[in-house]
Amino acid sequence: MARKEHIKTSGSGAVSFNMTPMIDIVFNLIIFFILTSQFAQLEIEQVALPLSMAAKVKDTGEYRNVVINLVDPDDPKCVVFGQQVDYLVREDDNELSAMLKSFKKAGGEEKPLNVILRADELIPYEAVASVMLAAGRAQIEGWWITTEVAEREDILGG
Amino acid sequence: MAKRGPPKKPDSIQPPMTPMIDIVFQLLIFFLLTPSQSGEGYLTTNLPRTSGPVAGEKQVDVKRVKIELQVPEHDDKGVVIVLNENQTFGKNFEGLLAALEGLRARGLAADHPVLISPWMSCRQKWVVRAFDMAVAARFTNIHFAVPYI
Repeated sequence: MARKEHIKTSGSGAVSFNMTPMIDIVFNLIIFFILTSQFAQLEIEQVALPLSMAAKVKDTGEYRNVVINLVDPDDPKCVVFGQQVDYLVREDDNELSAMLKSFKKAGGEEKPLNVILRADELIPYEAVASVMLAAGRAQIEGWWITTEVAEREDILGG
Repeated sequence: MAKRGPPKKPDSIQPPMTPMIDIVFQLLIFFLLTPSQSGEGYLTTNLPRTSGPVAGEKQVDVKRVKIELQVPEHDDKGVVIVLNENQTFGKNFEGLLAALEGLRARGLAADHPVLISPWMSCRQKWVVRAFDMAVAARFTNIHFAVPYI
C-alpha cells in the first residue's frame, strides 16, 4: 500500500518583503548625493593644503563663494570652476579680477561674495600675492585661506 | 496507549547577522563622512588695500612688527625667519612664537599691526605657519605684503 506523502504548505501564502537590501541602497544613495553635491558646490581641486592651528571650520552657506585653486607648484596655475584663469599682475584688470568683479556685480546685495583660496602648500608666495591683488582690485568683502586643521603639537613638534 | 516521546526542545532562533553587519557599516560610513568630509578649516585674513585713500601707496609704518620670510640659497623649499630686521630664527617657528609672545608681554597691543613679508619664492606653507604664530601670540591685525605696483 503506497504511503501517502503529506506536503506541508504555508498557511496564507503571504509574501514577506525583505527590507535590508532596500535600506542598504537608500543609505548608499544618501551618501552619494550628499558628497557629490558638496564637492560640486565648491568646485575644489586636489591640492596638498598647508597645516594650520589657527584655522576654524566655518559654514560656507552664509556666503556666495568663489573657490580659487592654485595648483602645480612648479608651474602655478589658477583654476576657478574647473577653468584655468590668467591671474598675472597687470596695471589693468587681468582675467581673474575681471571675473571676480562680474561675480560681485551679478550677485547683488543678498549674500556677500566670499573668495576661498585653496593653494597647495608648496605654491610660491608670488602666485598667492597675485591672487590677493586681483581680489583686492575687485574689492572683495571676504577672503579665506583653506588649510588643514592641525594641533599645535603637529606643527611645532612634541 | 500512545507512547510519549521526550519533550522536543524548541528550535533556537538565530537572527541573521549579515544584514545587521551591513547596516552597521552603512551607518558608520554615513556618520563618518557627512559632518565634514575632511579636516579643512579656513583662515580669515586681510586683503591688500587697492582702493580708497591709501590705495597703491607703499605703506611705511616703522612701528609695525615685521616678519620677513626669506628663502635660503641651498634650499628653495626652506625658509629663514627674520623678525623686525634684526632677529633671525632660521626655520624655528617656536622661537618666532616666543619672540612674538615676548613683544605682547612687553605691552604691545593685540591690534598692533603685524606685517608678514615673504619673498616671492617662499612657499605658501611657511607663510601660513608665520600667520599661525602671529595668531597664537594673539595679534589680530595681521597683513601680508604684496608687490608694490
